[in-house]
Amino acid sequence: MQELLAHPAVQGAVAPLVVGLAVAALLLPVRLSGLAAVAGFLVAVALIGNFSFSTLTATRKLVLVAAAAPLLGVIADFAFKPTRIAGPVLGTLFGAAGLWIFWSVLAHQPLAQALRLAAGVVALVLWTVAAALPLQRDPVRAGAAGVGLGLGAGIGAVLGASALIGQYGMALGAASGGYVLLVMLLGRRVSAGASLALGVSVTAALLACAAVLLAKLPWYAAAVLGLVPLAARLPLPDRAHPGIQAVVAVFYAMVPAAGCWAIAWAASRTGG
Amino acid sequence: MKKQSLLAALLLAAPLAASAAPETYVFDPYHTYPNFAVDHLGISTMWGRFDKSSGKFTLDTAAKSGSVELVVETASISTGDNDKGARARARDEHLRAADFFNVAEFPQMTYKSTAVKFNGDAPAEVEGQLTLLGVSKPLTLKIDRWVCKAHPFNKKPVCGGNASGSFKRTDFGMKYGVPAVGDEIKLFIEFEAYKQ
Repeated sequence: MQELLAHPAVQGAVAPLVVGLAVAALLLPVRLSGLAAVAGFLVAVALIGNFSFSTLTATRKLVLVAAAAPLLGVIADFAFKPTRIAGPVLGTLFGAAGLWIFWSVLAHQPLAQALRLAAGVVALVLWTVAAALPLQRDPVRAGAAGVGLGLGAGIGAVLGASALIGQYGMALGAASGGYVLLVMLLGRRVSAGASLALGVSVTAALLACAAVLLAKLPWYAAAVLGLVPLAARLPLPDRAHPGIQAVVAVFYAMVPAAGCWAIAWAASRTGG
Repeated sequence: MKKQSLLAALLLAAPLAASAAPETYVFDPYHTYPNFAVDHLGISTMWGRFDKSSGKFTLDTAAKSGSVELVVETASISTGDNDKGARARARDEHLRAADFFNVAEFPQMTYKSTAVKFNGDAPAEVEGQLTLLGVSKPLTLKIDRWVCKAHPFNKKPVCGGNASGSFKRTDFGMKYGVPAVGDEIKLFIEFEAYKQ
C-alpha cells in the first residue's frame, strides 16, 4: 500500500480524482461540493510529504493560500452573494498574496526584473480570479475550468522542469475532474460556488507563477492559462445531457491548456 | 641594561608570536568542489558536484583551533546531465527547480564550522552547521586527507585535502522523490586553499 501511495501517478492523479469525487458527493447535501478541488489538491500535498510549514518556503506558502482561498469562497457563498466587483477585488487580494508567496524569490532579482515579475504575478492571479469567479453559478463550466487550469499549470510545470509543481497542478485538475464526474452523473444540482471557482483559479494561477519563478516555464506560456476561464464560457449545447455539456466544456478549457504545453515544449527546444 | 634585555626578549618572541597567530587560507575555486552521492531507485549510486563555491578557513596549529566557511552556489549543480537532448528538460534543470535545490529561492548553501578537532598538527574533524533550503542542521566533516606545503609551481603556501560527511536531505525539507531518490546524501569535498 505504501509503495502504491508513493507512486507519482497515484499522488498527482488517481488519489486526487477519487478524493475529489468523494468530497463532491459527500458535501452535496450542504452545497459545498466545490471544496472537492482543494481537497484533492491537499491530498496530493500530503501524499508527496510536503505538509510541513517549519521553513515557510514559497511552495509551502502557496499551499497555505490555496487552502485559504476556497474557505474564503465558502464565506462568500454563504455570507454574501459575490457581485461584479468581487472578482477584481478578490483577484487583487490574492495577487497581493502572490507577492507574499514569492517575495523570497523576487528579493534575489535585480530591481527592474523583480518589478516585472511581481507585476506578472499580480496580473495573472488578478485576471484568472476575475475571469473565473463568474463561473461559480455554472457547475459544468466551473468544473471544466478547474480541469483546464489544473492540468494546464501542472503539465506546463513538468515541461518547465518541476515535477513537484507539476503534480500539484495535475492533482488540482484531477480533483476538479472528480467534481465534473459527479456533475456528469447528477447534473446541475451539484453546486459549484465561489469555493470551487476561487479555489481553482487562485491555486492554478499561483502554481503557474511558481512554475515560472521556481522552474523554467516561460511567462508567456503561463499567461495563456488566463484564457481557460474565457474558453469555459463558450456556448454549450443547451439541451444536451449535462454529461455531454461537461465533455464539451472540458474540451474548450483544454484548448488554452494545450496551448500552454505547446509553448512550454517549444521553449524547451530553443533553450528557454 | 634592563631596557636592552626587554627589547631582546621581545625580538626573540616576535617570530614565535607570528607562528602562533591564526593563518587564513582562501579556497581555490578551481580546485575546490563539493561532490555528492545519492542512491537512485535502489539500483545505482548517482554522483554530482557543485561547480562554484567559495570561502576560507583559519588555522592555528599552536592553539589547535580553526574555523571554516564554505559557500556553495546551488545553481552550479552538475550531475553530467545538462543536455536535455530530445527531452523537455535535463536532470540538472530538475535538480535546480523547487523539487530539490530550489535555486531561485535559495541560491546558496553554506557550511560554517563550530569546532575543529586536531590529530597532532593536522585538523581531523570539523563540526559545523550546514544551511540548505533555509534550514540549519549540524554536520560533521571528517578530514580524510590533509597536506600543507609550498605549491610545487608557484611556491605559495597551500593547504588542501579531502573531507567527507553525510546528511539526510529530508532534514532540510528536501522531500521530493524520497525514497526513489535516496534520502542520505554522502558529501565528498576536495579542496585546496592558498595562505593569505
